[in-house]
Amino acid sequence: MEKYSVIGKSVPKIDSRAKVTGQAKYTGDLKFPNMLIGKILTSPHAHARILNIDTSEAEKLPGVKAVITHKDVPSLKYGISPARWDENIFCIDKVRFVGDKVAAVAALDEETVYKALKLIKVEYEVLPAVFDPIEALAEGAPQIHDEYRRNINTEIHQNFGNVEEAFAKAHLVRTDKFIGQRTYQCPIEPHSAISMWEGGKLTVYCSTQSPHYFQHYIAREFGLPMGDVRVIKTYVGGGFGGKLEPTGLEFAGAVLARITGRPVKMFYDRHDMFAHNRGRHRQIMEITTGVDKDGKILGMHANFIMDGGAYTSLGIASAYYAGAMLTLTYDFENYKFDMIRAYTNLPACGAQRGHGAPQPRYAFECHLDNVATQLGIDPLELRLRNARQPNTVTPNEFKVNSCEMTACLEKAREISDWEKKKGQLPKGKGIGVAVGSFVSGAGYPIYRTDLPHSAAIIKVHPDGSAATLYVGATDIGQGSDTVLCQMAAEAMGYTYENMKIISADTETTPHDFGAYASRQTLMSGAAVKQAGEDVKNQLLEMAGVMMDKNPGNLDCREGVIFSKLEPEKTLPFTAVAREYFVKNGPLVGRGSYTPPKLGGTFKGAPVGTSPAYSFAAQISEVQVDEETGEINVNHVWDVHDCGMVINPALLHAQVHGALYMGMGESIWEEVQFDAKGKILNPNMSDYRMPTALDMPVITSALVESCEPAGPWGVKEVGEGATIPTMGCYANAIYDAMGVRVNSLPLSYEKVWRALKEKREKEKGGGKKKK
Amino acid sequence: MHLPDFNYYQPETLQEACEILGRYGAKAKVLAGGTDLLPKMKQDVLAPEALVSLKMVSGMSDIEKVPGRGVVIGAKTSPNDLVNSSVLHENFMSVSEAAHSMANNQVRNMGTIAGNIVNAIPSADLPPILIALSATVTLVGPVGSRTLVLEDFITGVSRTAIAPDEIMEEVVIPEQSTTGSAYFKFGLRHSGALAVVGVAAAVTMQGSLVRDVRIVLGAVAPTPMRAKKAEEILRGKNVTDDLIAEAGKSAAVECKPISDIRASEEYRRDMVRVFTKRALRKAIYLEQSES
Amino acid sequence: MQGVKDKNGVMRYVISLIVNGDYLTVTVKGNTLLVDLLRQQLNLTGTKRGCKLGNCGSCTVLLDGKAVSSCLVLAVEADGREITTIEGVAQSEKLDKLQESFIDNAAIQCGYCTSGMILSAKALLTKNPHPTETEVRTAIAGNLCRCTGYVNIVKAILAAAEA
Repeated sequence: MEKYSVIGKSVPKIDSRAKVTGQAKYTGDLKFPNMLIGKILTSPHAHARILNIDTSEAEKLPGVKAVITHKDVPSLKYGISPARWDENIFCIDKVRFVGDKVAAVAALDEETVYKALKLIKVEYEVLPAVFDPIEALAEGAPQIHDEYRRNINTEIHQNFGNVEEAFAKAHLVRTDKFIGQRTYQCPIEPHSAISMWEGGKLTVYCSTQSPHYFQHYIAREFGLPMGDVRVIKTYVGGGFGGKLEPTGLEFAGAVLARITGRPVKMFYDRHDMFAHNRGRHRQIMEITTGVDKDGKILGMHANFIMDGGAYTSLGIASAYYAGAMLTLTYDFENYKFDMIRAYTNLPACGAQRGHGAPQPRYAFECHLDNVATQLGIDPLELRLRNARQPNTVTPNEFKVNSCEMTACLEKAREISDWEKKKGQLPKGKGIGVAVGSFVSGAGYPIYRTDLPHSAAIIKVHPDGSAATLYVGATDIGQGSDTVLCQMAAEAMGYTYENMKIISADTETTPHDFGAYASRQTLMSGAAVKQAGEDVKNQLLEMAGVMMDKNPGNLDCREGVIFSKLEPEKTLPFTAVAREYFVKNGPLVGRGSYTPPKLGGTFKGAPVGTSPAYSFAAQISEVQVDEETGEINVNHVWDVHDCGMVINPALLHAQVHGALYMGMGESIWEEVQFDAKGKILNPNMSDYRMPTALDMPVITSALVESCEPAGPWGVKEVGEGATIPTMGCYANAIYDAMGVRVNSLPLSYEKVWRALKEKREKEKGGGKKKK
Repeated sequence: MHLPDFNYYQPETLQEACEILGRYGAKAKVLAGGTDLLPKMKQDVLAPEALVSLKMVSGMSDIEKVPGRGVVIGAKTSPNDLVNSSVLHENFMSVSEAAHSMANNQVRNMGTIAGNIVNAIPSADLPPILIALSATVTLVGPVGSRTLVLEDFITGVSRTAIAPDEIMEEVVIPEQSTTGSAYFKFGLRHSGALAVVGVAAAVTMQGSLVRDVRIVLGAVAPTPMRAKKAEEILRGKNVTDDLIAEAGKSAAVECKPISDIRASEEYRRDMVRVFTKRALRKAIYLEQSES
Repeated sequence: MQGVKDKNGVMRYVISLIVNGDYLTVTVKGNTLLVDLLRQQLNLTGTKRGCKLGNCGSCTVLLDGKAVSSCLVLAVEADGREITTIEGVAQSEKLDKLQESFIDNAAIQCGYCTSGMILSAKALLTKNPHPTETEVRTAIAGNLCRCTGYVNIVKAILAAAEA
């Protein structure tokens, strides 16, 4: 008999039928009686004082039901990061980026809303603006928030071990500088929210990754008890970090709904989404590493500056993550991390898939290839020599349990045929390697609280023919509803096909922090497992009475209760469940999960802590057109250590998707601005997400791994595969052409320019390289 | 982002359509595919008072070979019609290929050849190859029709020689001795990307002698432009790799690109060099393998 | 097609079209887009809005059998024509083989691109029952997906073509 009957199997997604038939309702698809449509007016200036807002013309337009500005909403500042509440629902004194929120309208229909927005007259006094983080930090730069001198949003200085001493002992100390670009999550579904009041109770249907944080911040903003705010996640069309925090649509919608006494649906258009942003930061990254003559890393110093945009969003965490995650994949003791996150007059940046980690990883992995080249060591071999081993602790005090970094590298080497290819492919073709690691859930919540991180309730239906799992865990497409139902069924001894799920509704489902930091399979999974076992124990207790057996000798699997001693003695789950209901009332299982206390005590120690870490190695093969710089990625091999796998099909699909995002960011995607801070490409034409014709062959493979801290041994996968990709391609391009592009994206033009410069240099110096 | 109000007309004849257009002067627009017009209207780039739909105007959607005239393409023909046309496959595959490089499948189903020309976007994919093949356009107005050489028709960014009350009826690729033509589009992803440069070439060969050649560059000047000096380098010469390379270099000097979010001027120039070579090589290869 | 001026002087047009096999007569404004007619007037919300500019493919429907972006089609232009939305792909309870294949191949994540993706694939397979992988990728290149890297979508369409 197989060890597990439900987990480890590629069952179809629980919502797939609803999604292939068009039945699945996303927030924008919902209609309520008497519902109005609303939209936010945003600033056309990057930095300007608001002198006057005249809404009178808009109010007169037939069909307009309400127009609101900062005067109509609470002035309490908010932000997802409690360390810096620096946003208002609507700007009060000044606007800080093109797209900052100024007013909102509710009207009978969309057309009227758009017309009304054009009728709101805002008088601005344009102020000098700053768009570059280094300029923003300079003396005399325009001050964006009065409270934050020199535009310093956060400053980090961490020092573990003794980097100076390590560098002094090193055979080679090398410094490289890289730049990561601004990118945007760009989920295909635009954000939307429907707010409605029944007396003093507010209900918000929305496109969210975390009903809990929405509920928490909406309640706080309006001074409501949490219990009077109900946040319901509908189907969500992708998030990738961009739907983790309230967007303004919820706040403005709630006020418009209260004023009009009608439900109000608010929505963003694609360009509004780009302006609201919360995507990847632009980052300037200087990395210095000291290695011995065998390439063993002795110490590393990461010195970074981030462009945070006009507000904090989740950026403080992003800033800490940028440095914190660099210590995971390789074993070294001395580490120094310096970071300044600067405010600029650009859209606020936040958490995008791989939160903080991908760009520093790109820098580190390119830098290590440079080190390997300088030492004459195969880059994969260099990584093997430094690979982290299980049951170790990083210099910044992250406890790593399972860790198959070495196995990932070795398997990637094998399946990609690395040894035959590295340095030996025909000109124009190249192969590169990079690694990555990510948290399986954050060790601490975003705001300070001792609530469990996840909780679950399972209610078995009276006749036992179905069981409904209630979780706050948030399925945004990644498939948590499906894997959590698999986990529930496994723990209960039940079948997946009979599972139902209600998730991510703050009123009907128990608390959970939501979909971010790749946390749900481990954390929500642990709560679900406990709830399932709770059901099973109660059921076996009942079965013991019915079968006249010691419950301790009974077990349940796939809906059949049996005696472990006399396996032919069985009872159906349904019969026992029914009997339980008749005798005791509802059969309910409960579970919750709180991570153990993790991490050190230094400032910022909690960021990056996690019960478990995933590891991955990626190898890619690229082809570069020598004349144009055009890059075609032919094949990518991703080998993951993600612990026990609950649903292989969905797991590999996560790898494909994470790689896809990494790929777009590597070569094509960049949010571009004009000289006045206006986004030049807030659309899906010039913000170039890869199309089906751009994608390489992807081989997603796994190594055996079991994580003691996770239920059944699980770890994360959703973000991990985004992290190595950029460095992996950059290294492959170097292998192909002998040029290194030190900034993202690795655009065709940049590669072309690097090739041109190389040719000119060779002409001058007469040297010849591949 | 919302479509503004406009008056909508659905005439049944070209004559009627021209009359309505005449009434509005420059304030009306012809609606055929809408794939360029509607996004511009939604983004407040254009706000015509009236849209005159050609939906009910019959005809204008065939691709035929007409003896004595050449290949006659109805103005309402969609890019996918061009992609799938056996007449084009047999005569001017390069036009099918250029159409295939446009936008995405949905837009290729809806857009029209006339729209791709009349909107006069510098990066449009069809004009370069059509100009290389000496195509003409026929315009119908209230008092009859006139035929213009396509090369002279596009006069600037979003500007053409069409009068406000004229409608394009057909595009004609005249009969010609060449069988060698090619269009290379260089975009920044494999679908849904505007051309950073587009280069079309059409050659007539006699053995290795270039009897005639036309090179047209897209996306590197306000209008598609002939690289006439590059053509001169080749015309009447025996073709060699060096000569092709020289023509490429010349085209790179002749073009007038700008720097924008997609590419720098410098990069565009060099891509003109590269793709002029590639287009010439392919056109010459096709011509020589045909004869 | 009939036009009537409403009391504000705005023209309203009565159009007739076939949607998923049903003959419907509806009243629209000149600037009503097909996507909004489907979603807002006919409640066929399986057709999504993603970019409104014809770049993302979320609003793909079949217009006389061809895949088009319904955000770039005026509702008045659909008068007299036949439209298939995702709601019309299954034959009542019986899913289309493409729908089955998307489920079996884990080709769905958030699902927001799925409707358009299936309709683009449907148009392809109707015209070309045994496409190559490149033909599949070309057919769906106008349907952007942010979740799947297209890996399982391409696999699902090829598998449906085999079936």
